[in-house]
Amino acid sequence: MGDVGALLDGFATALQPTYLLYALIGVLLGTAVGVLPGIGPAMTVALLLPLTYTLEPTAAFIMFAGIYYGGMYGGSTTSILLNTPGEAASIITCLEGNAMAKAGRGAAALATAAIGSFVAGTIGTVALTLLAPTVADLAVQLGPADYVALMVVAFLTVAAMLGSSPSRGLASLAVGLFLGLVGTDTLTGQQRFTFGVPALADGIDVVIVAVGVFAVGEALYVASRMRHGPIPLVPISGRWMTRSDFRRSWRPWLRGAAVGFPIGTIPAGGADVSTFLSYSLERRVSKHKKEFGHGAIEGVAGPESANNAAAAGVLVPLLTLGLPTSATAAIIIVAFQSYGIQPGPLLFENEAALVWALIASLYVGNVLLLVLNLPLVGMWVKLLQIPRPYLYAGILFFAALGSYSIGASTVDLVLLLCLGLLGWAMRSFGMPIAPAVIGLILGPLAEEQLRRTLAISQGDLTALVSSPFAVAAYSLLVVLFVVGQWIKRREARIENELAAMLAERERVERTATKG
Amino acid sequence: MSSASAPGTPAPLVGRPARGRPWGEALFAVGLVALGVFTLVEASGIIVPGSANVMGPQAFPYAVGALLVGTGAAVLLALVRGHRGQAEQGEDVDVSIGTDWVTVGKLIGSFVALIVLVEPLGWPLAATLLFTGAAWSLGAKPWWRPAVIGLVLSLVVQVTFTQLLGVYLPAGLLDGVPSLNG
Repeated sequence: MGDVGALLDGFATALQPTYLLYALIGVLLGTAVGVLPGIGPAMTVALLLPLTYTLEPTAAFIMFAGIYYGGMYGGSTTSILLNTPGEAASIITCLEGNAMAKAGRGAAALATAAIGSFVAGTIGTVALTLLAPTVADLAVQLGPADYVALMVVAFLTVAAMLGSSPSRGLASLAVGLFLGLVGTDTLTGQQRFTFGVPALADGIDVVIVAVGVFAVGEALYVASRMRHGPIPLVPISGRWMTRSDFRRSWRPWLRGAAVGFPIGTIPAGGADVSTFLSYSLERRVSKHKKEFGHGAIEGVAGPESANNAAAAGVLVPLLTLGLPTSATAAIIIVAFQSYGIQPGPLLFENEAALVWALIASLYVGNVLLLVLNLPLVGMWVKLLQIPRPYLYAGILFFAALGSYSIGASTVDLVLLLCLGLLGWAMRSFGMPIAPAVIGLILGPLAEEQLRRTLAISQGDLTALVSSPFAVAAYSLLVVLFVVGQWIKRREARIENELAAMLAERERVERTATKG
Repeated sequence: MSSASAPGTPAPLVGRPARGRPWGEALFAVGLVALGVFTLVEASGIIVPGSANVMGPQAFPYAVGALLVGTGAAVLLALVRGHRGQAEQGEDVDVSIGTDWVTVGKLIGSFVALIVLVEPLGWPLAATLLFTGAAWSLGAKPWWRPAVIGLVLSLVVQVTFTQLLGVYLPAGLLDGVPSLNG
């Protein structure tokens, strides 16, 4: 087990004061953007990509790791304390956690979410530590055709799992693939889709696409349908977890981790799916079934843990195969690329020190998050109260800054606005954003591997399916598709049930306030 | 969502109430098909060097173009059958209301102002205008408050980026003011 030594070396690096500081900045920044509606970890890492020009890789990745985990933590605070339905992934925490907060048990809900995130995040990181080197060893033997298979699987499952319908997910993927085509063909040096604009010869900068569709798109979308009126914050009240809360939480934490991690490792829609599966599992095994929908602590503990374990799971294909299965993971790949590092099976050999420092910093980040989050919850609540006009003006400001600072080019700002309009339209029409980002980043790599495969086979298309691994991957695609559709149907059913419950609760509250 | 939550019929939390015809979405789907056709046409014009082996620079663009046409058509077909996309949920979003074009227009206007003015005025002043315009469009009152906040933010960013991070941002009109030059 040489890995233990490597991990210890990683800890020796990650625990140096400078790197601890970067980890601290990362988790604080990550939690802040996780708490704030409208910004996510993908956009934050994208905005910070220009830092990779000045920062050395270890520091940058330790910070990105902090942002990645911190973003997961922050989201739960928002959904527990803010009395509005958030994005689909947090509808569960919103339902149970928000109900707990209203019933005067907000502190307990926050605590079980934070501790559960820590427990599951740590379990997930341990699983990553054990699994990743093995997967990397196996992955070294993969040829270009196998990579084509993996990427096809990633493309299709991500596109089919997210969004209102598979066709919309695939359309989003196609848009991303198109954006990835713009620029100079790496193999032949031909310009493609550059419209004679010299600024496009190097392709559209990923920062601009990510910031455009995420940040500018989100700002425009919110502006088009802004929820007016005061921000409906529920004050934190009640005691931190009681003994009975602990008794009811620890099993859901572990079950959440067990559900979340495997879901994270396969390209199946990532964290969202894992929260749904964990919730329905908790509801089925609970002895307090009646409390579900009215603030059952298991309904917060399980899904929040699953969410964080899935975040760790996503790193397995990212680090060992270079395969991103979420938008944030796709942006992290770009960060690697900007250092001239291609994540993949050779990462553990060529960049062992960096990878192990990164993994060690995940453990460190988890501890930091647990230690910081509960005491700092007052600060996060303040953040939640930022008046929305200023929040979204700020998002636009930093989006423009991030794009303009790359090369002080007005063309980039025009592109940013166009991509923002695209992001707005996609949100309005139920097209998921993540497939577009994954298509943009993975598309050029997929094309290269495909052409390499066909060059080796001299145009023989059967080369694509001649290796056992590729065959297995394509078969897995069929399985994932069937399972995925089943999960989606379940998800829709639970979502509808929850929506009905929420509406019912709202109605009761309204009658109560009226009367 | 007050009108929809009459007793017995819980408001659908997911998806907006189908109101009117989805022209915007249909236009978007047509746009996808058009982009696909454009990609196919443009791909045929990519020069294939003689050295290119079996799969040249055209093949992948052809596939992407076909995918765009296919998915755009599929979305369009779904719309005709009445399956609309569900607008994304968010904490600050009320999916039950229609599009507020005035606010969006003002917001886009603020951004266009930045694009036009960033070279003549320089980053700090143009970015102040963006912040002020955006916050004002979204309802910040009184208007001078975002202006003050925006100016302070812009100047802090200008100093941090040009002096500490070594990233160039044009000072424009403020050229010559100590510690603002890029």
